[in-house]
Amino acid sequence: MIRIFLRAINAPILVLMVILGIAIQTAVFVRPPLSWIQPDVILVAVLWCALKRGFTEGGILTLIFSTIAEAHSSAPQGALLVSYMATYLAVRAAARFFVLPSRTTLIFLTLGASILWRLTNLEVMHLLDASENLWRHTLLYLFPSAMIQGALAMASFRALERFDWVTYKSARAQQLLEDEYNLDEEGA
Amino acid sequence: MIKYLKEYRFYIILFLFLLIPITAIDTSTRAPREYRAHDRLILGISSPVQAAITFTLDQVVSAFQNYLYLLNTRQENLRLTEENRKLQSSIASLQETQQENLRLRKLLAFQESFRLETVAAAVVAKDVTTEFRTIRINRGENSGIRKNMAVLTAEGVVGRVFRTTANTADVVTILDLLSAVDSIVERSRARGVVEGMTDETCQLKFVLRTDDIQPGDGLISSGLGGVFPKGVPVGVVSKVNRKAFGITQDVEVRPAVDFSKLEEVLVVTRQVSEPLFDKQVEKAHSEKSASAGTPEKSDSGAVAARSHP
Repeated sequence: MIRIFLRAINAPILVLMVILGIAIQTAVFVRPPLSWIQPDVILVAVLWCALKRGFTEGGILTLIFSTIAEAHSSAPQGALLVSYMATYLAVRAAARFFVLPSRTTLIFLTLGASILWRLTNLEVMHLLDASENLWRHTLLYLFPSAMIQGALAMASFRALERFDWVTYKSARAQQLLEDEYNLDEEGA
Repeated sequence: MIKYLKEYRFYIILFLFLLIPITAIDTSTRAPREYRAHDRLILGISSPVQAAITFTLDQVVSAFQNYLYLLNTRQENLRLTEENRKLQSSIASLQETQQENLRLRKLLAFQESFRLETVAAAVVAKDVTTEFRTIRINRGENSGIRKNMAVLTAEGVVGRVFRTTANTADVVTILDLLSAVDSIVERSRARGVVEGMTDETCQLKFVLRTDDIQPGDGLISSGLGGVFPKGVPVGVVSKVNRKAFGITQDVEVRPAVDFSKLEEVLVVTRQVSEPLFDKQVEKAHSEKSASAGTPEKSDSGAVAARSHP
């Protein structure tokens, strides 16, 4: 029973963790030089959802995470929703067609996703006719931010794996849980 | 029907995932926004954490600076006793207070010189993305802050209030890509709009190619639009690129405010009209009266000036 409860609260706790992550990100990386190496907590969470959650659950969580980002940004309403959703779908498609065998591959995927996210954001802003000065910023931050994102992904994916294991959300934990049920049923 | 829904479930969900963000887009990119109920819920969780982190960081930095100061003192003066160390610590702490006092005094002097009703606030967070340059301050609707109020420091214009909650407000700085401040070049009175460009520079747009603008020229707010009081420093022209043809020229502006060191700001809750001109006229009158030997008018002027908040 406790295990089912833990599994059920996985998503709400993940949302709460992202809100706290955003609070830390926006409060710690306020002034230069820290502001130049600001990571993107939302992007890591979106990638995690794209890779480790079902299509519907991951998509809904992505929408929630994007809403959290919009509450903490002056970006035009809906712009971040589009950028993060596009990244979610692209990574999901990539994970479907390519094999991601190790954590190193995940980090490279994060680098790619970070670049993709910035370019998508630039395109969205271009469509909103607000990108005149954004391309310069995007070019400046494209690769450095991808590196920072990759570095953050190393630590955060490990922590998220652990979190999923503790809350019985990871595939291995789910399998163990099911095996245990089957054994119980057979015993009964 | 249900059979089809089940069969095409993936495509229906995919369609919804594409549709929801697109329908959420608001094309009026510069308009101030309202927080929705769920935004307020999210901020209810994150804002106290942001404030707590900012406070803790300030304390840690302050303690670290004090420690370094003490360490240097001990190395240079080995014979200092424990009591001396405590005194030095107190001095360091007092110096910090004095610095803060100086900053606040400057803000107060600025407020008085422009005859503004203001609310002082501290910066607690910045924008979640690096593309946009909003800051969050620790005062909101409960302190009388409303959307589109001007935010200033003693150095000049910071930005305008974009949206508010009860205890926080988001401020779009002049460095933000979607910010626009109508400005005048102090020397030649050429007019343009200052828009954000990079983390450190802005751009003066819509200035005619024939307008006389030189690097080093100061820019002040024009007062148009009713957000910023007239005459507040916006920045200094750092680069001018005047092409041989065309209608406008490219002008880069370094903001008057050092955003990398921004800690406290003033939110203008009410402006008294035409502050500078009133004051100048008043000063001219009082000088004239003084030379004519009628001191009464000068006194009344001073009283009038003081009576304004």
